[in-house]
Amino acid sequence: MTARVDRNLYPELQRFGANDISACFNCGVCSAICPLSVDGASFPRRMSRYAQLGLREKLLASPELWSCYGCSECTDSCPTKADPASFMAAARRYAVASYDRTHLAYLLATSRLFAVVFVVALVSLLAAFMYNSHRPVDGSSLAFFEFIPSAVIHNLGIATMAVMGVAALVGVFEMFRRVLRGPAAHGAGPSGAALGGAKATIRKAAIRKAAIRKAADAAFYAVGTESLAQTRFRKDCADAGAAGAANAAETRPWYSQRWFIHFATMWGFLGLLGATMADYGLELLGIKATGTAVPIWYPVRLLGTLAGAALIYGTSVLIVRRLRKSDRSSVHSTTSDWTFLTMLWVAGVTGFALELALYLPSAPAWGYPMFLVHVAVAMALVLLVPFGKFAHVLYRPLALFAIRLRG
Amino acid sequence: MSADQPSERRIGVYVCHCGGNISDYVDVEAVVNAVKDEPGVAVAKHMMFACSDAGQQEMEKDIAEQKLDGLVVASCSPKLHVVTFRGVAKRAGLNPYEYSQANIREQCSWTHTDDHEGATRKAIALVRGVIARTKLTEPLEPLVVETTQKALIIGGGITGLRAAIGMADIGLGVFLVEREPELGGWVGKFGPMFPHERDGRELISHLVEEVRKRPAINVFTGAEVVTKAGSFGNYQVGIRVSADPPETITAEVGSIIVATGFDAYHPAEGELGTGLAGVITLPEFKELVDGSDGKLRHNGRPVRSLAYIYCVGSRQPGGNEYCSRFCCSAASHVSIKVSELDPKIRQYHLYRDIRTYGNFELLYTEARKQGAVYVKYPDDAPPVVAVEASGSLAVTVRDLLSGDEELEIPVDLVVQVTGMVPRKNEEMVGMLKLPLGRDGFFNEIHPKLRPVETMVDGVLIAGTCQGPKSSAESVASGLAAVTQSASVLKRGVAELDPLVATVDPDKCTWCGKCVNACPYGAIEKVSIPLPPPKAGPRRPHDLAADARAANGREVATISEAGCKGCGGCVPVCPENAIDLRGYTDAQITAMIDGLLQEAIA
Repeated sequence: MTARVDRNLYPELQRFGANDISACFNCGVCSAICPLSVDGASFPRRMSRYAQLGLREKLLASPELWSCYGCSECTDSCPTKADPASFMAAARRYAVASYDRTHLAYLLATSRLFAVVFVVALVSLLAAFMYNSHRPVDGSSLAFFEFIPSAVIHNLGIATMAVMGVAALVGVFEMFRRVLRGPAAHGAGPSGAALGGAKATIRKAAIRKAAIRKAADAAFYAVGTESLAQTRFRKDCADAGAAGAANAAETRPWYSQRWFIHFATMWGFLGLLGATMADYGLELLGIKATGTAVPIWYPVRLLGTLAGAALIYGTSVLIVRRLRKSDRSSVHSTTSDWTFLTMLWVAGVTGFALELALYLPSAPAWGYPMFLVHVAVAMALVLLVPFGKFAHVLYRPLALFAIRLRG
Repeated sequence: MSADQPSERRIGVYVCHCGGNISDYVDVEAVVNAVKDEPGVAVAKHMMFACSDAGQQEMEKDIAEQKLDGLVVASCSPKLHVVTFRGVAKRAGLNPYEYSQANIREQCSWTHTDDHEGATRKAIALVRGVIARTKLTEPLEPLVVETTQKALIIGGGITGLRAAIGMADIGLGVFLVEREPELGGWVGKFGPMFPHERDGRELISHLVEEVRKRPAINVFTGAEVVTKAGSFGNYQVGIRVSADPPETITAEVGSIIVATGFDAYHPAEGELGTGLAGVITLPEFKELVDGSDGKLRHNGRPVRSLAYIYCVGSRQPGGNEYCSRFCCSAASHVSIKVSELDPKIRQYHLYRDIRTYGNFELLYTEARKQGAVYVKYPDDAPPVVAVEASGSLAVTVRDLLSGDEELEIPVDLVVQVTGMVPRKNEEMVGMLKLPLGRDGFFNEIHPKLRPVETMVDGVLIAGTCQGPKSSAESVASGLAAVTQSASVLKRGVAELDPLVATVDPDKCTWCGKCVNACPYGAIEKVSIPLPPPKAGPRRPHDLAADARAANGREVATISEAGCKGCGGCVPVCPENAIDLRGYTDAQITAMIDGLLQEAIA
């Protein structure tokens, strides 16, 4: 199958931050140096070639985009300073924007002004909606769910999750459609053939036990080993120390290594999500009303506190590194990076402030506004999952699943 | 017969080991023993390296002390060392033409590595043959001709113009002949050129201005060289300065520099899209870019994407097999110019191998940086250009770097990166007897040692008529031709090899066969008996004086300055009237007898 060249792809990718890739002459040093690009994989090189040529469908059908954890070792080794790591990040942003059918992700990634205005407006709208239904409370102690009826918050939260879920499903479908049914599947190229194989494998999985086991293994690997345990990020990715520093992993303690920062942020978020869900569950079961003060050792509170600390630690380190451009992997920051990180950080810090406020002897004046900000930001964060950098939580495990299945 | 040879000659015979190149297969001592008692052989030795300083000195000493009057070295090919050993003879006071070389390496040891005994027998026979010839050698003196202090330069492109200026500045007169109505050639049409981005048109107008400043340079435009007579140092060329009415002038020149340049390859109809709207060649595209008003348009339509197809008419098995050398760089250069016009124009370079040698590599890097995409296509699968249903062009090509994907590239324009082909100049080639290479370009004698000289003495080649070159390389070769001309012309006299053919007027009956056999046009019909050749430094025969003494009998005469000593005329003469000095019939016969001595005995 002939791949059609699209002359507009390259300038479009430039809008997503792929600025230097024209310098690439496809020598393949990036793929050779990449600790993850093994077993016949050829990224970033092949992705870069697709981008240069304008093979849009090939690029969007490449799950390898999500194999990369952005250590930037390839950028350090690139003989033509084509910055393959930034290119891979840009290509992922482009993929997120392409899998989204609403054009929102495209605008969020390519226009800083739009992103800021949109996020602020979204948060304000959510806060205003909740404030609209607020009830009078006495100022002696904080009672968030007296202030805003818990039903309003819960229903709004469920609505947010539903909208996000639909968008996420559409995105996932778009990605899988491309990876499995796109032109690559029929192509003569190795990736096409392999993906065709993956497709065939999935078909066979319905009728063959061995194939089911293979799919289960792939799913466990993608979600468990790679994503939740961060095994490859931890073990295989060269840690990005100070820009240009050699062998940074040896000199940097575990708690400041890239994988751990990501690990803390991810588990912090998951922990908070779990604590919130559990808290709601306890209310549904009639054990404890949401927002009631409980001792620190109370499991849900303990989980929330620890997770919040992890999230704040992770996001703070990430923000500082991006501000200082101290890591080779944090030299280039885009709107997507900042939007995502800032929202995560604000959600974490306001959450902690609320816990603090809840247990202060007297209720502070900022308690209720802070509550509104926290809930609105958290909801906006969830709502925007498929439209920004957060989308990697959807696409990365899926891509890793597809690659694992391919074998 | 050899026993009857006069034995008063005192010949020194030296058999070389050539390290082991010869002595590993040929028993050099046996060779020496076989010939040392030959009549006429005064000294016979073998040496490790005859060409070494020690070897040369030993021979010089022998020549002087033993009063040798002939020298034979049995070693390698004469092509390699005949000049070396003639020098030995000359330094020792022996006439250099008393020296002969027997090739027992290329023609013996290297070819018979499996038969040492046979190789030795053959070496003995070869040496005996050369000794037999040497017994009949006689001292010869180089021909000395006076040279005309002027040169003819054919071609007014950048090479011819720069050469004319160089020639004039050395103090020689120049006739510069250009066929077109304007000077300047290809470069005169070019816009900015690498590396200094100076306009080609500007370079040419500067050179033309310099040419005009020099009264020593006579420029003829719209003119052609139509006849050539005479010989090295003294050519008479006819220049047709106008066709209507026909007018030809004659110029006297000492040397001729041919700088007639190249033609662009014209792809055949259908070859890589030729004939389709939007498919143009590199020269056409350069003109389009150089003449653009800031927007790249073709036939009034904006160009947003284009594909270059490399090696069109170059490196084609069965066609032009050579690489045209300049085209990769030229295409990359024009690609940068296009990016400067509009960086949004997407450019795809479909190539076989990028040969942007030397500094041109910078062009390749820069073009890529500007966003040009280079796609290597397999030699056996050239791109296919087609018109799509929508009417626009699409190029299909396989890309090795994306895993041999077949790409379909929709483009507004296809540029065929065409190479250089030799100009069609049959008349001039025939007139100047220029040797052509297999590729149709003019051949030099030796690419390294004599890069601008041709087999025709005094006729030099420069620039792209010799083969594909960049303009810088062309100018360099033009100046090399100037120096090579001046080194002879400025001396006022030129020495020519005396190994030329002579006609015995008593035997000649003028049948004209020799005239047809001569590739150099050195034989003429005269109605005179020629005086016998004089000994000592000689001048070419004064044909006019001879003509005055004519007795009416028509015979052939050979210009000593024009003859190259190829011997082509000797066997065609039915009267055996022609002899080649240094290789006379008698000498060759003696050589054959010597070679077969053993067999005869």
